[in-house]
Amino acid sequence: MKKLLCMIMIMAMTFTMAACGSGSGGDAEGSGDVPVIGINQYGEHSSLDNCREGFIQGLKDAGLVEGTDFAIEYQNAGFDDNISAQISQNFSANNVAIMCGIATPSAMACFTAAEDKDIPVIFTAITDPKAAGLTEGNVTGTSDKLPIEAQLELIRKIQPDAKTIGIVYTTSEPNSVSAIAEYQEKAGDYGFTIEAAGVTAQAEVTQAVDTLIKKGVDCFSNLTDNNVVGVLPSVLEKTDAAGIPVYGSEIEQVVKGCVASAGIDYIELGKKTGAMAAKILKGEAKASEMEYETITDYSIYINSKALAALSMEIPQDVKDGAVETSEE
Amino acid sequence: MLELKNITKVYNPGTVTEMCLFKDFSLSVEDGEFISIVGSNGSGKTSLLNIICGSIPVEGGDVLINGNSIMKLKEYERYKMMGRVYQNPSMGTCPNLTILENMALADNKAKFFGLGRGINKKRIDFYKEQLEILGLGLEDKMDIKVGSLSGGQRQAAALVMASMTKLDFLILDEHTAALDPHTAEIIMVLTNKIIREKKLTAIMVTHNLRYAVEYGDRLIMMDKGKIVMDKNSEEKAKTSTDDILRVFNEISIECGN
Amino acid sequence: MIDLIISTLTQGFIYALLSYGIFITYKILDFPDLTVDGSFPLGAAVTAVMLVNGFNPYLTLLCALAVGAAAGLATGLIHVKLGVRDLLAGIITMTALFSINLQIAGSNLAVERAVDTIFSAGPTMMLFGSFSLIQRKLIVSLILVILFKLILDFYFKTKSGLLLRAVGDNNVLVTSLAKDKGRVKILGLVIANALVALSGCIVCHEQRAFASTMGTGQMIFGLAAVIIGTTLFRRMSFVKGTTAVLTGSVIYKACIQAAISMGLPANLLKLITALLFLVILVIGNVEKGKGKKYAGA
Repeated sequence: MKKLLCMIMIMAMTFTMAACGSGSGGDAEGSGDVPVIGINQYGEHSSLDNCREGFIQGLKDAGLVEGTDFAIEYQNAGFDDNISAQISQNFSANNVAIMCGIATPSAMACFTAAEDKDIPVIFTAITDPKAAGLTEGNVTGTSDKLPIEAQLELIRKIQPDAKTIGIVYTTSEPNSVSAIAEYQEKAGDYGFTIEAAGVTAQAEVTQAVDTLIKKGVDCFSNLTDNNVVGVLPSVLEKTDAAGIPVYGSEIEQVVKGCVASAGIDYIELGKKTGAMAAKILKGEAKASEMEYETITDYSIYINSKALAALSMEIPQDVKDGAVETSEE
Repeated sequence: MLELKNITKVYNPGTVTEMCLFKDFSLSVEDGEFISIVGSNGSGKTSLLNIICGSIPVEGGDVLINGNSIMKLKEYERYKMMGRVYQNPSMGTCPNLTILENMALADNKAKFFGLGRGINKKRIDFYKEQLEILGLGLEDKMDIKVGSLSGGQRQAAALVMASMTKLDFLILDEHTAALDPHTAEIIMVLTNKIIREKKLTAIMVTHNLRYAVEYGDRLIMMDKGKIVMDKNSEEKAKTSTDDILRVFNEISIECGN
Repeated sequence: MIDLIISTLTQGFIYALLSYGIFITYKILDFPDLTVDGSFPLGAAVTAVMLVNGFNPYLTLLCALAVGAAAGLATGLIHVKLGVRDLLAGIITMTALFSINLQIAGSNLAVERAVDTIFSAGPTMMLFGSFSLIQRKLIVSLILVILFKLILDFYFKTKSGLLLRAVGDNNVLVTSLAKDKGRVKILGLVIANALVALSGCIVCHEQRAFASTMGTGQMIFGLAAVIIGTTLFRRMSFVKGTTAVLTGSVIYKACIQAAISMGLPANLLKLITALLFLVILVIGNVEKGKGKKYAGA
C-alpha cells in the first residue's frame, strides 16, 4: 500500500513538471483549417533558437498572420535522433502543411517522414545540403556555410603576426569535416597554418584545447560544431588563462566571450527561410522547384570586453564596420 | 581406476593467509568402489572433490584415470567421464526449464548440441522410467518448471540427471546436507539404489556419520588434509557409528570446536 | 491517426529485433551487454555504405547480421578468453565500435532518395507496390520481425538453444554436462548482436541515414522493452518470450509517441521513460507478492 502511494506521488510530481514544461511546446490545436507548419528543431541551442525565431519572423514579414494564415507546431528533439524521427512521423501523421527541419539530423528526419505524403520540407542551419541528401525532391531551404575566407581575413587584420590557428572539431559531424577541409585549403592564402584537433565527444573538447595550447597556436577559431560550442565557457577559461584569443563563428559565440567573428546572422538566415516557406504556403512556388540558398552575407562581430581582457587592439577599419556585442 | 598422486594444494600462496592444505596427498579408488568420506570443516573433503573435477588448481601432483593423467583437461572436459551432485539442490538443475527439458539436457551430456530438436520424443518414455525409480511422481510433471519443485524433488532430479549417461565416476558433494532429515533419508536410499543398479564408482562426501557407515564399500576420515582413517568394507562392517563418532570427536576437540 | 498508429507500430517492430537481442543477453544469458550501443550503429554504418555504393539493399540485411555477429564475438572473446568482466567487456567493444563505425562510414552519412531501400526495391514493390510507403514500411518490418521471431522460437527448442537457456539459468550445470560454458555465452552474444545490428540496418533503411551517435541509449531502450514485455506477460506462461518482447517494444514506442503528441518537451521524455520503467517494475513485483525481498528481480 505504501508503495502504491509512493508511486502515485512520483507520478503526480512528474506530470506536474511535465505540465509546467509543456507550455513551451507550441500548440496548434483549435486552429481549424489553418495550415500547420511543423518545426522539428534538433535541440535547444542559441543559434538554432535564432533560426526558429527568424523563420517565424520571415513568415510574418511576408504578410502572413500567425493564427489565421498559419500555425506553428514546434518540437525539439533534445539532440536525440530517435526522438527526431518520431517527431517527424508525428508531423506526417497529422498532415502538416510544411515541415521545417532545423539542423541536419532534424531536416533529414523530416525529409524521410515526408516522403510518402510528399509534404514539402524546408530546412535551415545546414552546411552541406548535398551531403545530407536534401537537394532532390520536395525540399528546399537555406544553408549556413561559414564565411571562412572572411574569418581568415579578420584574424589576419587583428593578429598580423599570427602563424597558426587551432581548431577543435567533431570528427563525426560532416559540417565540421568539410569546414576543416576548407580552412586547410585557404589558410595558406592568408599565411596561416591550421592545427586541427578532432574529438568524438564533448568530454574530449577541453583536452583537445589543452593539446593545441601546448602546441603553441596563436589563436583558436571555432566552427559551428555542437560539441565545441556546448562547452565554450570552459574552453574560454583555458584560453584566457593562456592568453590566446578565440574567434567565434557566429554572434552567439562572440556574446559568450569570443573576441570576434565573421559570422552569419542566424536570425537573418531564419528570416530568409521563413520567406521561402511563405512562398510555398501562398502557392507561389514549390519546394521541389526552389534551389536551396546559401547565405553569403556576413557581419563582423566583436567583443571589446574580451579583447580588452587579452590587451588586444583592433584596427579602426575593422572596428568601424563591426557590431559590438559586449554590453558597454 | 582413479588415482591422486602426491597432491600439494596451497590456498592463497604468497600471502599472509597462506595455508597448505594437502602435502604429498595420495589416494586411489578402484573401479566399482563406493567410498564415503567424512571429516570436520576444513579437513579438505570438498577441496579433494574440486581437485578431482578440476574446479581448483593444484600446486603439485597428478590425478590419473585408468593410468592416464587428466591434469591437462579443463573442468568441463573432465565431466565427460564424471557426474556430480552438489550440496545445493539448485546447482544440479535449471530452475527455469521444465523437467523434460532438464532431462533432455542431461541425456545429451558431452554430445554435440546442434540444431536438432532439443527434445527427442522417443526418449520421453525412457526419462519417465528413470524418474519412476525415484517414486516421487515426477514422471507425471514433465512440463513443470524445476524451479517450482521442492528441494528434495530437485535433488532427486539432479541425481537422475547426473547419472543418466554412462559415467566413470559419480561425485556426491554433501548432497543430502541441505535437505530435511526425512527427505535426506529418501535421497540417500535412492542414491544407493542408483549406484548399485548402475554399478557406478562413487565418491560421497558427507557430514552424516551414519550414512558413511551404512552406505558404501569403504570409509575414509580426513583431518587437516590427511587421511586419518581408511576402512575397507570388511573392517567397516565391524565398526559402529559410535566408534567413528569417538574418533571424529577427538579430531574436532583438537581443532577446538 | 491511422498514419500515426502505422508509423508507431513500424518503429516498434523494427526495434523489436534489437529487443530480441537484448532478451537473449539480459534475460537468457543474464549478461548486461553494452556492446549493443555500438553494434546497432555498426549495422547502420555498413548498410549506409553499401546502399550509397549501389549494393543490393536486401544484401545489407545479411551483411548487418554478419558484422553484428562479429561484434558479439569480440565481446564474448574479451569476456571469456581474456577474463574481463561482462559489463566492461561490452563497454570495451562498444567504445571500439564508435571509431570503427566512423571508419566504415567516413562520417555521418545520408542515403539519397534515389537509392532503393528494402522498402522500395524491386521485390518489395512487386509484392506490395499497391501500398503507400509507410504501409510498405509496416509490412516489411512486420514480416522481418515475425520471421525472426519464428526462427528464434524454433532455435530455443533445438539442442543448442536449450543449452543456451541453461547457461544463463545455471552455468554450473552446463559445466557438469561437459560443455564449455564460455563457448555457449559467446554463441549467445553472437546471436544477440547480430539481431541488434540487423535492427540498426533496418533503421538505416527507414531513416536513410547513419549517425555515429544513433546507438546511444539503445541498450536502455531494449532493456525497457524486454522488461515491459516480460513483466506484462509474467503470469501467462503460454506467451512466448519473443512475443512478450515484441509487445514491450511496441508499447514503449507508443508511449514515447503519445508523449510527443501530447506536446511534452523532449527534455522530459527521458523522465517519462524512467517513470514508465519504474511503474512496470513495481507492478510486476507487487503481482509477484515478493516485491520487498527481491527488488532486484
